[in-house]
Amino acid sequence: MPLIEIDTAAAVARVHRRIFSDPAIFELEMRYLFEGGWVFLGLENQIPHAHDYMLTHIGRHEILLMRDRDGRIGAFYNTCPHRGAQICNLRSGNARMHVCPYHSWSFDSSGQNTSIKGKAKGGYTEAFLAQNHDLHPIARLESYRGILFGSLVSDVPGLIDYLGEAARMIDLSLEQGEGGIELLPGSITYTYRANWKLQLENSSDGYHVTSTHPTYLRISADRAKENMHSEGVTGLWERTKVIAEEHSEGSLGGAYGFDNGHAVVWGQMPITPAHPLYERRAELEERLGTARTQWLFNAHNLTIFPNVQFAENFANILRVIRPISPGLTEMKTYCMAPIGESPEARRQRLRQFEDFFNPSGLATPDDIVAYEGCQLEHILGGEQGWLQGYQRGLALLHKGPDETAIAIGVAPAYSVTGDTQLSDETGFLSHYRAWNQRLGEAVERLLETERRQEVAA
Amino acid sequence: MTQASIQQQASDLLSREARYIDRRLWDDWLELFTPDAIFWMPAWKDEQTLTDDPDREVSMIYYQGRVRLGERVWRARSGLSVASQPLQRTMHTVSNIIVDRHDDEAVHVGANWSCHVYEPRTKAQHVFFGYYDYVLAGTPEGVKIASKKVTLLNDHLPLTVDFYSI
Repeated sequence: MPLIEIDTAAAVARVHRRIFSDPAIFELEMRYLFEGGWVFLGLENQIPHAHDYMLTHIGRHEILLMRDRDGRIGAFYNTCPHRGAQICNLRSGNARMHVCPYHSWSFDSSGQNTSIKGKAKGGYTEAFLAQNHDLHPIARLESYRGILFGSLVSDVPGLIDYLGEAARMIDLSLEQGEGGIELLPGSITYTYRANWKLQLENSSDGYHVTSTHPTYLRISADRAKENMHSEGVTGLWERTKVIAEEHSEGSLGGAYGFDNGHAVVWGQMPITPAHPLYERRAELEERLGTARTQWLFNAHNLTIFPNVQFAENFANILRVIRPISPGLTEMKTYCMAPIGESPEARRQRLRQFEDFFNPSGLATPDDIVAYEGCQLEHILGGEQGWLQGYQRGLALLHKGPDETAIAIGVAPAYSVTGDTQLSDETGFLSHYRAWNQRLGEAVERLLETERRQEVAA
Repeated sequence: MTQASIQQQASDLLSREARYIDRRLWDDWLELFTPDAIFWMPAWKDEQTLTDDPDREVSMIYYQGRVRLGERVWRARSGLSVASQPLQRTMHTVSNIIVDRHDDEAVHVGANWSCHVYEPRTKAQHVFFGYYDYVLAGTPEGVKIASKKVTLLNDHLPLTVDFYSI
């Protein structure tokens, strides 16, 4: 019996708590997900110039991303092949040469070894001299429209195939700025004391908003009532009244599932001055048409499995999930904005981003504490360990796109559509289907070993 | 006023502010700010550099207007925020208070701060610390905070942070 059971034909969707707490499962996730396939690394425009570099992670490994003198980007393990010292300990910068601080082995910005200190007098054998002394590159590195992904294993589909139809969702996001998107200076990193999949789920979870964030919604509504135009902090979530009511009319929402674990949840929002894109609505309408313009004003969260989330409503966040242990996760957050935004819109965007997405803001802390509370009892085993929270919207699940998806030119594997009260739980199914596909067999072997040990004992 | 008395006045205000925050005399705390006060905690751009333009770069908190701080006070008391219940217990120390400059309009004060935080929910303890930079202004009701910039030196957050823990 697996730890995640999804059989939508039989209306079964359940997850066992053990996946959030078991160290052996965590190891499998590291091996088969984070260190076993494509993960998000960063944006090319974070290292725009020759010799720019930045540090990031893939799984437990620190990765050095560098742009060489010809403008090509490479990704390497941030460790000297000599005796393993950390090559680079600044998060970002520009350097033609990286000199290992321990014994001065030197590497250029394409990762090639350019010198070994005292080579001539070193008594090196032929065998040593024949070894490759370059930095170790990661197995695969590809870019989708300026978004970098890497894999530590080479046996993966091409990035285009891995993203699949979810790439259309990325396209939609990129289209909000004619010149593309950028990450604003200043990023915030925090940890929470719970499993990484609690954050994975939360971004595909509309159901929690009115319960976890009533203070944020109330503050937003009060500001709207007072017509607080100072600093562009205008009516956030102007339809909060609608969201909070039991019966809402005419406002659509739902979820899309894609192959390979990606998912979108979305809710229709009005086109209002509360949105930083409002000033360009005519330009967007002309360039993208009505349906895609409306989409940009909707609230929508995209998860590219397993580690990156683009959450977009009245500001946009790009957040990266880094699991540290079963009960500890690090989040790195960036404010994502269209290039070429007006100063007023940018200011409005920043205030809204800070209010909603910051761990020092009015909403994210409540998510964090909710996760930590869940984690406490995710050690519950047996039959009682099965969770019930993956079934909302199952009755509405249908294959292929809904009208909204068709209108914006996306063909998801499945859709769920309702009004903004739906807040379904079907986005999670996409993530966990991929989880089962990639580590289901290994989990089964683990469980089988346990069963045999139990019988033997 | 003499240099010494300006220094004393600033020191008293900063000490009183810390007491009001920690003892949860938050209405009194809000009153220490001018109505249009700026409250700003920048984010870090890299290991050495804070963001310095809140209109173009991310801040951890950036508010114009005391009313924004009032919203956080309301949220903390509302019983509707799971992160705010139970509240963290906090103890600020403010030290190394130096009046950088002053004129008839304003007094610019810099200080060091640390805030010991005890989180009753998890029994975790943490210390946040950094620098404060204030602009104090005279008003008919006395000297008040026209601007407070909080530099958080240990910005990698292991637990939630709010106005009372910085």
